[in-house]
Order: sequence, then C-alpha cells, then structure tokens
Amino acid sequence: MDYIGEQLIPGMFGNFFLALSFSATILATTAYYFSAKDSDDGSWRKIGRTAFRIHSLSVLGIFAVLFYMLLNHLFEYHYVWQHSNTEMPMRYILSCFWEGQEGSFMLWSFWNMVLGNILIKTAKDWEGSTMTVVSSVQVFLSSMLLGLVIFEYKLGSNPFILLREHPDMVNMPFTRIADYVDKIDGRGLNPILQNYWMIIHPPTLFLGFSSVMIPFAYAIAGFWKKRFNDWQKPALPWAFFGVMILGTGVLMGGAWAYEALSFGGFWAWDPVENASLVPWITLVASAHVILISKNTGKSVKTAFILTTVTFVLILYSTFLTRSGILGDTSVHAFTDLGMSGQLLIYLIFYCVLTLAIFATRWKYVSGDKKEDSINSREFWMFIGALVLLISAFQIIFSTSIPVINKVFGSNLAPPADPIMHYNSWQIPFAIIVGFLIGLGQFLKYKNSDISKFWKKIRVSLLIAAIFSATIAILTSNTNYHYVLLFFAATFAVVANANYFLRIMKGKISKGGSSIAHIGFGLILLGALVSTSMSKVISQNSSGIDVKVLGSDFSNHDNIMLFKNDTLQMGDYYVSYSNKRKEGVNIYFDIDYYSKSETGQLIKAFTLNPLVQLNKTMGNVAEPDTRHFLTQDIYTHITYADLSQIEAPATGKSGYMEPKEKMLAIGDTMFSSNAIIILHQLNTSLDKAEHELTDNDIIVGAQLHILKMNGDIITATPLYIIRDMMVESIADSIPDLGLKFLFTKIDPESGQIKISLFEKQDNKRDFVVMKAIIFPFINILWTGCIFLIFGSILAIRQRIKTS
Amino acid sequence: MKKTHIAGILIIAVAIGAIISTIQDSSTYASFAQARENPSIEFHVIGELNKEKGMDYNPEINPNVFSFYAFDKEGEECKVIFNGTKPQDFERSEQLVMLGSVKDEVFVCSKILMKCPSKYNDGQEEVIITANTTEADS
Repeated sequence: MDYIGEQLIPGMFGNFFLALSFSATILATTAYYFSAKDSDDGSWRKIGRTAFRIHSLSVLGIFAVLFYMLLNHLFEYHYVWQHSNTEMPMRYILSCFWEGQEGSFMLWSFWNMVLGNILIKTAKDWEGSTMTVVSSVQVFLSSMLLGLVIFEYKLGSNPFILLREHPDMVNMPFTRIADYVDKIDGRGLNPILQNYWMIIHPPTLFLGFSSVMIPFAYAIAGFWKKRFNDWQKPALPWAFFGVMILGTGVLMGGAWAYEALSFGGFWAWDPVENASLVPWITLVASAHVILISKNTGKSVKTAFILTTVTFVLILYSTFLTRSGILGDTSVHAFTDLGMSGQLLIYLIFYCVLTLAIFATRWKYVSGDKKEDSINSREFWMFIGALVLLISAFQIIFSTSIPVINKVFGSNLAPPADPIMHYNSWQIPFAIIVGFLIGLGQFLKYKNSDISKFWKKIRVSLLIAAIFSATIAILTSNTNYHYVLLFFAATFAVVANANYFLRIMKGKISKGGSSIAHIGFGLILLGALVSTSMSKVISQNSSGIDVKVLGSDFSNHDNIMLFKNDTLQMGDYYVSYSNKRKEGVNIYFDIDYYSKSETGQLIKAFTLNPLVQLNKTMGNVAEPDTRHFLTQDIYTHITYADLSQIEAPATGKSGYMEPKEKMLAIGDTMFSSNAIIILHQLNTSLDKAEHELTDNDIIVGAQLHILKMNGDIITATPLYIIRDMMVESIADSIPDLGLKFLFTKIDPESGQIKISLFEKQDNKRDFVVMKAIIFPFINILWTGCIFLIFGSILAIRQRIKTS
Repeated sequence: MKKTHIAGILIIAVAIGAIISTIQDSSTYASFAQARENPSIEFHVIGELNKEKGMDYNPEINPNVFSFYAFDKEGEECKVIFNGTKPQDFERSEQLVMLGSVKDEVFVCSKILMKCPSKYNDGQEEVIITANTTEADS
C-alpha cells in the first residue's frame, strides 16, 4: 500500500552514509596497512588519508541525519519512535540520540573519527601504522550499524530502519493505515535518562573509550614496526588524556546516579559501573608504566601488555553491557540486539591480534638486564601498577559471574552484599595505592638517597597521622580499614601538596602530576567519608510502634509523613506541605525546619523530590538533594499515593464503610490517623440522662484515642438496652473525622464489638520518604576538579617536551 | 630470587584469593523449596508476582514492610515479605529477582530487582499497546 506523509529521503541519505563510511574505512585500513610498509613512496598513505577523510565525512553525515530525524520527530523511523516523543523537552534530544545501542555506537565511532584525524595531523612517521589500527577499529564499529543480512546472519543494527519495516512491527495494525505517520507519537525517552548528566556523561565516557585506542594503536605500531622504545613518547599524553576523560566520564555516571537514581549514593558496584571503572584502573596502571618505560627504557613488555589489556577490557566491557548477559544482575544493562556474536568477534579479533604481535616480537625486545633498585621511583611505580592491575582483576572477575555461569554452566549468583564484597578487597588496595601516591614523588629514578627521602616525607607522614588519629578519635571510629584508608588518603594529599609547594615551589605549569595526585587522594577521602559516615535520618518515629506487628524488620530507612504533620529527622523537623503537577512530573514540597534557641521552628529549606508519571515505562521517582558546604541532605520519595492525581476523588464528605472489630479491654484497633485502645467499660453511667428506667442497661466503651503527636483523647460510644431493645449511641471526634459505634457485647469472651467509621477525606494524603545525610561529599567533587586540572597540566607539559 | 619473581608470586596469590572470595561470597539462584530447606542461607530466587492475590502495604503502620505472593520458576507459590517500601509499578513487574531467606514459611527478602516490560529496553508487549492505542485514536 502507499503510505502518506512518510519522509523517506533522510533515511536514504542515512543508509548511503552508512555504506560509505563502512567501505571507506575498509579502504583506509588496507591503504594505511600498505603505507606502513617501508616500500611505500607516500602514494598508499595518500589513499589512506583520502579514504579516512571520506569515512569522517560520512560519520558526520550519519550523525546529521539522525539528529535531523529526532529534531523533526520523524516517527516513521524506528529509532526515533523508540527513543523520543513529542512530549519530551527538546533539551534531552541528545540523550535520545545515545539512549539506544546504535546511537551510542555512533557516538563512539564519532570520537574515534575525531581522534583519528588528530592522529593524521600529529603522528608523522607513525601515521601509517597507527592509522591502520584506528581504521580497523572503525571497520568494526561501522559494521555495527549496517543492519545487513548476510547468509541469514544479521550484521549490525541499522538506526535508519523504518518503523513499519522493523521485525517487531510486521503486520501490526498500524501498518495497514496509510497515514499512520500523522497518528503516532514516539515511545519516549526513559524518564531516568531525562537528566542533564545524561546529556554529557555518555559523550565523555565514549571519548574516554576512544582515547584508550590511541595508546593501543601506538603500542601495536611500536611492536609491529619493531620500534620498541619509541612508541611510549607519543602514546604518553594520550594515555593521560584517557585517564582524565575516562575518569571524568565514570565520575559523571556516579554524579548522575547520585542526583537522579534512587539507590542513595554515587557508587553501588553495579556491573555496568564496574565495566567502565575497570578499564580506567588498568589505564592508570598502563599510563604509569609507559611513563617508566619512556624515562628508563625498561618495562617495555609490561607497558605493551597493560596498554593492550586496557583496550581489550574496553571491548570486554562493551560486550558485558550490550550482550544482555548482565540481565539478571544489573538494572541498567542493555538487552541483546542480536549483536553479541559480532561483539564477541570484535573482542576476539583484537585479543588474537595482540597476542600474535606479542608472540612474534617478544624475542626482539631486550629484557631488562639490571633489576630496579628498591630505592628507585620506577620500582614503586611498577608495584603500584601491579596493585592496580590486581584490583581491576578482582572487580572484573566478580562482575563476570554471569559470563562464568554461561561458560561453565554454573549457577552462581552475585554476592548477596556486593558493597561489602568489593569493599573488603578494594579498600586494602586503595590503602596501598594511597601510600604509593604519597611516596612516589619523593623518590628519584634509578636510585634515591634514602635518608634524604625520609627527611622529606616525615613531616607529611606526621601531619597525616595526627590528623587521621584526631578524626578517628573524634568520630570514635574503630574500623581499622577505614582509619588506615583515611590515613593513606590524607598522606597522599599532604605529601603531594608538600612536594608541589616546597620542591616545585608552587609552579603551576610543572605541578600537574602533584595536583592530579592530590585530586585522587581527595576522591578517596571524599568517597570514604561520605559513604562510611552517611546517615539515614528518616527513622520511623511516628507514634505508631511497629513492634506491635511482631515483625523483626527494622523501622529504619523509610518514614511516612502525613500532609502537614511534622516529624523530627536528625537535627531537622520535616513536614510534607504540598504536591503539585507540572507536566508529567509531580513535585512534592518537603519542608525542612530547624529549631531555634527559643524552641521555635524556623523553615530552613524546601526540597522538591518528584515522581515522573510515565505510562509506557513506569513511574520513576527522582530524589532532590540540598547541598551544603559540609554535607548534603538527600530526600527521596519511596512511595506516594498517586491515585488522586490520576483519578480525582469525588464526594469526600461522607463516612466510608465501617471497620468492625471485637475488642477486649486493652485491645487496639487502627484508624488511618490514630490508634484506638479500649480502656475500660463503664457501667455506672447516669441512666436518667438518657431517659432510661432502672431495668434498662447502659454500658459505655471508654476508648482512648492516641493521636500521631502522642495526645490522647477519649470517646465513649454507648450500648443501651431499652425495653429489651438494643440501641447504640455513637460518639464522634470531628477533628479526626472518626465515629465510633458500640454494637455488641459477647458475655462469654468479655469482648465487645466496635464499628469504626472514618470520614472519606480522612484518607489523608501522605508520602513515604527516605532522607540521608552525606557528609563532606564536596571533598570528592573537589578531588575530581583537581584530578582533571592536574591532568590537563601534565598533558600540556608532556606535549611541550615531546 | 629476583624481586620481579616475588612480585609475580604475590600477585598470583592475591588473584587466587580474589577468585576464592568471589566464589565464597557469591550467592546461589534457588527455588523457594531450596530456600526453605536451608533457612540460614540467603538465596536469589527468580520468580514472578502472583497478580491474583493481593499485595499488602500499609505505610501508616509500617512504611518498611511490604508483602505479596510470588511464584518461583518451578511454579511454587510463597508469601514474600520485603523490608522496604512498595516499589513503583510493582503490579506491572514481569520478573522479580528476590534476595533473602525463608523464615517461618515466609520468604523474607531484603532486596528486589524488578524487571518491568520495557522499563529499560524494548519489550514487544509495549510496542503492541502503543500501536493499538494509535489505531483506536484514528
């Protein structure tokens, strides 16, 4: 049938660019391969360059086309339909772009393309060999977007496939409507991704992934062309660039989790988080060993191994997060798009390539004849790199449990308490690394004078020791792991600050590594303090004791707040005052009060955690955090009754169906706003008042009504037998919207029956929320800034000297 | 012995330690029956919510207790008490991964990983719903 209103031209352009980018990069790889041979007179290189330029332009073309489609809401394209809709704010259009696998592969290949072009400009005689590697990586990435079916095997997933042609949509009712395009809206962007961090976190992370490729290309090129001692120098700035960008990307992910996700913290050792942290750790190790290797001419093989392992780990992480294998263990892994085979080939190809090159070349690499002195900087840097490697191994091994299950057919589940599991290993590693960072700068290459060395560091050691001991005593912290880590991290900061100020004389241009190391020390410190001392202040302190239920659960974590009630939380008094709907979001006003010296409550601030209504993907709650210099107060709605918003209640004045219960003296029953206790039965009431004769009977059930704030009021519904007829006289408490009726006496058990009526509008609005204080989390963010700034300085210096 | 050898041996020792600890700390996927037999051990049970039976969440009494009935993969039903609030859209969940142990015939669970159709990804089901609504609109 003929469809009306479809825009097919952008798709044609898109597919043309996809095909062009794929073929051009195959040509570039081939041409650069031959240009790297000594026999080339420059003509192969010319072809390689031209091909890579064409490839670059096509990648930009693909980008532009998809962007155009998203911007114009062309829902006839599956990717646009799947990841965006018209309701969504346009500022998140970039998040839509990289929400899906195809978009994120595009982002990755975009950065590779950019870095490739920089390499063409800067690599000089390395161009042929390194660009062979870069172009080959682009062959793999471009193939992920092809969506070609070859011998019943689907190669890649095409971002420009039409909605009606997508395999999931075959024979759907809408495909029989000619003008379906005018009638559909997209499925929309996952609400948890509608966050500013999600605009910048993926590009940063993928730039980090891409920058790992450059040292890898140099390492492969160096071994391929047998220039074993030359590749380190040009690779080094790239390695530190990668450390900076990938590190920033990982931390941005943490910041997003902290701001927008509900697990209350910035790091949870989730498999997806681990998958990008691990290559960063090995990259740090690799960058430092490349540095040793460049400065001493030694450790060439280790530098090669670490650099290639880092690249392979990036591919492995990609495989973990995109093959669907983490499905049962992580909340934010992608599902399988049928590309796991292709990803695996990608991974295996570079493993085999690396091993092959290493195997054919290792005998040419001159081994290190003389052992490093134990007093040398390179020895301890090397040890540090090994500690990092083993730390990465521990994380990736535990994260790979689903892979182990698949390979060995075992049935292991991830650790029940992952945070404990990872911390018990990673804290000791962090302690060692912290100390090494502090010591390293004061050691000299080859050999250092040990007595001078001690003289230089003892002040820092002393300051750090006194400071940590004081803090440990003040906070009465007895966890020696924490105390030691605190000591190590403080030492790293103090020693590097000392080195920078006294030895570098505060010269910024040369202080890059000191500043970056201070930053890393601060990150360790901030992470330690904010997580180990974080405090859940939303302890259930409402008047109702849950122990009545005989439950062995804790009352902690979540607290219920009725509208306009005020409860104490930590040093604050917290009140839920309002909720309002803006667009798809429902904002809650949670007011925090502090108590003045005179005992008055003064409003300190209001937080607006929200719940985003999303019919397609489920409602999502987003926390709100108040940032102070010394602490953050995090507030998150964990449960809210949204029925009123979705379907407003009508006729609120009447009473609801009564709740009936048989009570003995001392028994309790609950209303939505109070606890009712049968205090006693009163038989000595004044009969005349009710015009009763002496033969009649009157009994009053004296009920104690315990309000939320602890006040007790009484109500006395009456049970009367007048002329052998039973009569009940209700008692009501208008303030609480409660009415009681005493309807029956059971003489055998001594129990009486009470009917409890509640006003309809008694269903008071409430929220269940969680509030956590994270102390000194700003140390962590300050550390990030130092790390980035220091890295930039160090990279600049490396580029200058090379 | 060279220093590098010592370092190498140490690394291998730590690596083996890491592997052993991972295997020791790792939990197991189990059914309710297996969990009932070993009440002292925490298991991961994969199952789904029994949507026929009610769920119980009374925040006014305790916001930290939520109970429901679930089937495990073998189809056995068990009452589950979760120490926490009722998760958003729990009714819509397709699959539950529950971590906990059995106490008095009840699966007491401290962590739930919930899979909703297309919460993070593409679910066939959701596609149909959207497409149908579209048709109904026209």
